[in-house]
Amino acid sequence: MSAVTAAAPGPETARERRWRRRSLVALVLLVPVAFGEMSWSSVVSLLGNEDLVARDVAWGSSATFGGSDWRLADLKGGRGLDGLPANAVAVEADFAVTVGSPDLQNLWSRCKLMLVDADGRIWLPSSVPGLRLPEGAVSCNSAMFSGAKAGDVLKISETFTVPENATKTIRPAVGLGGERPYYLRFDRPPP
Amino acid sequence: MRGRLGNLAVALAAVALCYAMMVTKPHYADLIAPIPVHATMKETVTARTFGVHVDKVTFARALQAEHFGEPKLLTTGGVWAIVAVSLSANSTSTTVGEAVWRGPTGLDYRMTERVGFSPGLPPHAVEPGLPKRGLFVFEIPSDQIQGATLLVAGRRFAPLDSEAMIAIDDVPLDAAGEPRDVVGIYNVGEPI
Repeated sequence: MSAVTAAAPGPETARERRWRRRSLVALVLLVPVAFGEMSWSSVVSLLGNEDLVARDVAWGSSATFGGSDWRLADLKGGRGLDGLPANAVAVEADFAVTVGSPDLQNLWSRCKLMLVDADGRIWLPSSVPGLRLPEGAVSCNSAMFSGAKAGDVLKISETFTVPENATKTIRPAVGLGGERPYYLRFDRPPP
Repeated sequence: MRGRLGNLAVALAAVALCYAMMVTKPHYADLIAPIPVHATMKETVTARTFGVHVDKVTFARALQAEHFGEPKLLTTGGVWAIVAVSLSANSTSTTVGEAVWRGPTGLDYRMTERVGFSPGLPPHAVEPGLPKRGLFVFEIPSDQIQGATLLVAGRRFAPLDSEAMIAIDDVPLDAAGEPRDVVGIYNVGEPI
């Protein structure tokens, strides 16, 4: 019969200490890198879905956005329409868009026209009873499937319902899937 | 011998820990479930995108509604609970389209789809600065009235979004457990 005894661990060598230090340093680098890599797609997705950074466009000017030139043609309001709350105003925003790249279904995906006021509140398009869009005008999403060619000028209009106290500062804005997180914010027409 | 027993104890503890973690791990649906915002009927709940206040709860035996212009009377084996709410949008135009009546035992009753579409019924489109009133209608058994909670959310599946959970005030009941104030026919087409 023989007895087996485990060998006592020897003293730590200089080589082992060196690699332990290297490993600790590597952890400090690798953990943030791994976290960043895991979060990257979420950050890209977040930036691609939100209208975060405004590009201001002066009244009467146009700006290239989503491969086309966008110009605010008119911004007008109407009170006292049937179906509107007492303190509400119907607002119509009209854009003239000169198509550059005709690949609208990709460049204009998730197109969003909106009104923003000085407090950062956002109004999205809503149908207003009794208010008809101008002749030949289409919504942004309809325009994507219009088959427009380069050089065509599209009339894009949307209607909104906003409270009367916001009408002094509201500005039309446009967000497109191909341009996010940037969006266009247009100056109001002169009074 | 002592070392082996120690190793065995560590292994058993590890197995027990892993099992405990496995059985207590929340389901993925719970991890991304809506975040509740609790309130009573006296308070206005501010969820992420909207605010809601319960103005009145009415119980009725039947509902009067319109179906493609034709009047229709909706009866029930239980009772209709009609909840009138005030809604507001926080900062962006939004839609409040989902409500659940949760009974005292945890049974959930989604808002009815029998009524169809009407201006005062969900989904409620709400604009910032323009609060509005609306209805949520439920078809429930009478024993689910007392101790109920109203759940209101923007849409049915809203992971990690907030959900208003409003405790419904006590309702006076008669000896049969039916609400004392119950309307014979409630017309959902009337202005709220």
